[in-house]
Amino acid sequence: MKPVMTFALMTMRSLVRRRTIWGISIVILLALIGIGQVPGYGTTNQGRFIIDFGLFGLEVGAFLLAVGLASNIYPRDRERRTIMPIIAVPLSRGEYLMGRFLGAAIVQAAAILVGCIGLMIVLIMKNHAVPPDLFPASLLLVVEGWFLLAVVFFFSFWTSPPLNAPLTLFLFIVSQMSVLDFVKLVPGVPGLMRVIRLLLPHMDVFHIKDPITHGMDIPGLYFLLAVLYGLSYMAFMLSVALAVFRKRDLK
Amino acid sequence: MDSLPIEVRNLEKSYRRKLGLSSFKAVDSLSFELHTGEILGFLGPNGAGKTTTIKCILGLLRPSKGYVRLWGDVPGSGKVRRRIGYVPENPDYEDIFTPLELLDMFASMRRLETGRKEHLELLERVNLSGWESVRLRNFSKGMRQRVSLALALQSRPDLLVMDEPTGGLDPVAMKEFRDVILEENRRGASIFLSSHLLSEVEAVCHRAIILSKGRKVAEGTMEDLLRTEDRFVITYRPPGGDASSEPLEKEVPEAVLQETIDELRREGCFIERVNPLYRSLEEVFLSATESAGGGK
Repeated sequence: MKPVMTFALMTMRSLVRRRTIWGISIVILLALIGIGQVPGYGTTNQGRFIIDFGLFGLEVGAFLLAVGLASNIYPRDRERRTIMPIIAVPLSRGEYLMGRFLGAAIVQAAAILVGCIGLMIVLIMKNHAVPPDLFPASLLLVVEGWFLLAVVFFFSFWTSPPLNAPLTLFLFIVSQMSVLDFVKLVPGVPGLMRVIRLLLPHMDVFHIKDPITHGMDIPGLYFLLAVLYGLSYMAFMLSVALAVFRKRDLK
Repeated sequence: MDSLPIEVRNLEKSYRRKLGLSSFKAVDSLSFELHTGEILGFLGPNGAGKTTTIKCILGLLRPSKGYVRLWGDVPGSGKVRRRIGYVPENPDYEDIFTPLELLDMFASMRRLETGRKEHLELLERVNLSGWESVRLRNFSKGMRQRVSLALALQSRPDLLVMDEPTGGLDPVAMKEFRDVILEENRRGASIFLSSHLLSEVEAVCHRAIILSKGRKVAEGTMEDLLRTEDRFVITYRPPGGDASSEPLEKEVPEAVLQETIDELRREGCFIERVNPLYRSLEEVFLSATESAGGGK
C-alpha cells in the first residue's frame, strides 16, 4: 500500500499546483456567494433557496471536478511520457491507477467539503439554521464524485479528453433518470431499456437536497447504504478501467 | 544459478496504421539474449525498432508474437521490476518536483530503505550536487538525463536498460555517463544499451546487435563485428631499416597472406606482427544497415 499512497501524494501535489482545481474552486465559491445574495420570499424560504441551490452547486461541482481533475491525467502522462519510467519500474499498472485515483479523489473530496463548509458559513451569515444532514449530504456527493472520477478514468483509457467530458456528462444525466423517463428515450424496446437502466447506476440516491431543504429527517441507514452502493459502483468501474488499462500498449 | 537477464525469442510487434486497415511490423522475428554481467549494445537507425523492443522488454508493450523473459519471468512482474533500472530516452518527469523529492518518492514506491544521505550521494555521483532542491522545470535536457540516471541507479539494479541515455549530453557528460555504465557493470549489473552513438557502444559494450527495419542484421562480440573476415595487416621492417623508425604496414587478403609473408621474408624484411584488419563500428553499422535496405 505504501507505493500507492506515495504515488497518490505525488498526484495530489501535482494536481494542487495545476490551474484547473483552482479555477473550479473559484467558480464554486463565487456560486456560493451568489446564492447568498438570492432574495427570499420570507426568511424561511431564503434558507431553503440557499440549501437547494448550494447542494445543486456542489453536485455540479463534483461532476466538474471529476472531469477537470481526471480526464487529462492519463493522456498527459502518456503525451509527456512520464508514465514510462513509473510503470516500467516502481509501480504496476494497478498501483498506477490506484495512486492516480486516490490522489485525485482526495483533492476532489477536499474541494467538495470546503464547498460544504462555505455553504454552512453562508447559511450562518444569513441567520439560517444549518440542517444536521447537510454535512452527510455533502459526503454523499463526495462518494458520487468518486464514482464519476472512476468513470472519467475508465473513459480516459480509451478516448481523448474532449470526448471524455461529454461521455461522462451523458452517463451523469442518464444515471439520474427514472426508469420511465429512460424507457421513453427508445420507446420501441421497453424491456431492453428497463434492463439497461437497472444496470446503470442510480445516482439519484446521492441527491438528497429536496428532503433536506424541506427539513425532513433522513435515517442513518440510508446514508450507510448509499455510501456502500456508491463505493461498490466505484470499485466496479475501477476494475473495468484497470482491465482496459492492462491491455493498453504504452507506445 | 540465475537465468538470463534478458531472453527475447522470435519477437514480433505490429502496429496498426491509421484507420486500422493495415499494419506494419516494427519488430520482426527478433531473437537475442543478454548474459549476466554483460554490456549489450543495441544499434540501429531511427525507426529500426529499438525503442519498441525496449518497451516489450519492460512490459510497456505486449508482443504480437514471440516472447520476452527476464530471469525467466514475464516482463512487468513485481519480482522483475524490483531488479531493473531504466533510463528512458528524453525523460520527462513531473517538473514541479526537485531531484531530491523525486528520489524520495521513487524510493518509497520501490520500498527502498534509502534516505537523504544516500540520495545526496547519488546526486553527487551523477554530478548534480547543489541542484538537489531545484525544481526540474529549471533543468536542461542533459540535467534531466542525469536525474533519470540517478533514479535508475537508486535501487542498485541487476539490470540497467538504457534507451539512448546520452542523447542531449555534452561530450564531458557523455564520458561521465560511460564511466557510470562501466562502474555499474563492474559492480555486477548487466546492461542493455540502446544507442545510435557508435563510439559509445564501441567504447563500453562487450557485444552488439544491429537492427534494421525491425530485423536483426548483425550480432556478435565487438571483436567479431569489427574484424573483417578475410583481410589482414602485416607489420614489417624493410631490410637495413633503422630500428627506431616506424614499421611499414601492408594490407592483404587472407588468400595471399602466406604468400606475401614469404615474399617479404625473401626480400629480407623483418615481420613484426600479422593482425586481422579491424573496421570501425561505423563501417560495420553502415554496411549491415545498407545491405538490409536502410532504416525506415
